[in-house]
Amino acid sequence: MSEILIQTKKMSKYYPAGEGQFAALKDVTLDFRQGEFAGIVGPSGSGKTTLLNIIGSLDCQSEGEVLVLGQEVSKLTPKQSAALRSQHIGFIFQTYNLLPVYTVYENVEFPLLLLKMSEQERQKAVMQALTWVGLTDKIKSRPDQLSGGQSQRVAIARAMVKKPQIVLADEPTANLDTENSMNVLEAMQTINAELGTTFIFSTHDAKVINFLKRKITLVDGQVASDETNGA
Amino acid sequence: MIWKLALRNIHGAGLRSIINVGIIALVMIGIIWMQGMYSGWMRTAERQSREWQNGDGRYTHRDYDRFDPFSWDKSYAPVPDELIPLVKDGSAVPVLISQGVIYPDGRMISINIRGIPSGQELLKLPTAKLGIVSDYIPALIGSNMAKNSHLKEGDVVTLRWRDIHGAFNAADIIIAEIMRTPYAEVDQGQVWIDLKQLQKMKDSPDAATFVVVDDSSKQIHAGEDWIFLSIYDLMADMREIMKTERIQALIMYAILLFLAMIAIFDTQVLAVFKRRKEIGTFTALGMTQRAIIRMFTLEGMMYAVLASVTALIVGSPLFLYFGSKGWKVPESYESFGIEGYSDAIVFYYSPSMIISTVVIVIIITAFVSWIPTLRIARLKPTDALRGRLS
Repeated sequence: MSEILIQTKKMSKYYPAGEGQFAALKDVTLDFRQGEFAGIVGPSGSGKTTLLNIIGSLDCQSEGEVLVLGQEVSKLTPKQSAALRSQHIGFIFQTYNLLPVYTVYENVEFPLLLLKMSEQERQKAVMQALTWVGLTDKIKSRPDQLSGGQSQRVAIARAMVKKPQIVLADEPTANLDTENSMNVLEAMQTINAELGTTFIFSTHDAKVINFLKRKITLVDGQVASDETNGA
Repeated sequence: MIWKLALRNIHGAGLRSIINVGIIALVMIGIIWMQGMYSGWMRTAERQSREWQNGDGRYTHRDYDRFDPFSWDKSYAPVPDELIPLVKDGSAVPVLISQGVIYPDGRMISINIRGIPSGQELLKLPTAKLGIVSDYIPALIGSNMAKNSHLKEGDVVTLRWRDIHGAFNAADIIIAEIMRTPYAEVDQGQVWIDLKQLQKMKDSPDAATFVVVDDSSKQIHAGEDWIFLSIYDLMADMREIMKTERIQALIMYAILLFLAMIAIFDTQVLAVFKRRKEIGTFTALGMTQRAIIRMFTLEGMMYAVLASVTALIVGSPLFLYFGSKGWKVPESYESFGIEGYSDAIVFYYSPSMIISTVVIVIIITAFVSWIPTLRIARLKPTDALRGRLS
């Protein structure tokens, strides 16, 4: 059995709401293993994005434990948290979040600059990542010259270029048409199969759900079901 | 890496960057140009002072006060023995000053009579003609004096003075030459005659009010009646004028710089506001907030760095032109009598002035760029990613 990369134990997240509190997540206990292609599904407001943000150490839980690669995220300093993200976690966002002034090449290169890799290594890695997503002919284009599907594929290349152990994808196909959604999902599935990267999606898109090997359903911040495909 | 990112962002910001760089460059050109003018003005004034009146400094009679004509009849003494060898070899020039009156066309004009050796070459005054043999006392006046008194070369005019005993005497002088000088102090109200002639008229042989020297490094003890005034001492009034001018200019620079900094501040505030999502993305990709703040600050600072380069490239032709050809002050200004003003002011740009201007602008820009970025520290990554303000 493969290694557990992420563990949440009775994890809850509360937000202030008026004089009281709103529970975005309640007693969530989950494990994610290396190489998983898992999705957190559920309606809007069910806590999917909050869960991904906490796993990605962009936010902290209010209660319980969250261990990512053996590190308790709530105890990390901002610097350690940034190091965890830069080295081990890739993010894919619904709105792509490409840096608008950079070219495709520069956008994909960015995470490697943070890792202080040599230019030669960076070039090799960027071209490899763009090959995975089939965009080697767009290296000089800027984000505003790309279609939605192409932009999301650039975002995938950016998330994958450093070969992270974990990729967190927040509604990656929400802004894409069916054809582009399929292309993007196939690209991620291929990378998952080839590199053994753990993918965790938040989605309510049926197309994505069909691709998932594991489906965790959140309802009102609680795990309603956790199903593995074919299980 | 941060430099690279900052440069890319500035490049990507397009027109906004061009406007910011343009405004700062314009302010820098203005500051350097104005500073160059004041430095050049001061240097021109110093050069004129050296060439026309003060050499490298002068030994002045202790009681001489150039603003008090009443002191002049008591503020001269024989040239001290220690200075006589210098006078003889031409490296020092004694000057005697007395009050007088001339009567051109029956009018009465108060003047200063200045006696100077006719053969001197230390000062630029064309004194050769003071030694010509004539029925009248040969005199030299400046072009402004000639204009105000309606005198021209060859005119004979009566000169009256008071001798050492308090008796009034008079003699006719002939205008031997009208000199053109940029240095008002040797022109306005001055009548130059041969030193020996004035000493004779004052019945004060060997007397001088001050002795101009060509090299102040020679330390001479000229006796208790004489004090040495260096060129620095003699330029004190001019420095005061410059100080006032510079303060006025400084206020103008401060206003210009303030406007430029508002543009930078505004750009930075807007950048933090508009690029919230980008800030969130940087955080998600693994940048610390401190690194993001550094990057945004550096971006602002880079505007000043680029503006410095632009200012030096664009401003160079202007600086070179005024640094070589100078700025000819309109004729009407000559009557102001301010040193250095009645000549082409050749601008002077010292490396230290240019460097300090650039450094000050960069430091201020860095500070102004940094303040708005502090907001980044208050921004929650999760809110920033959604383009929301925390």
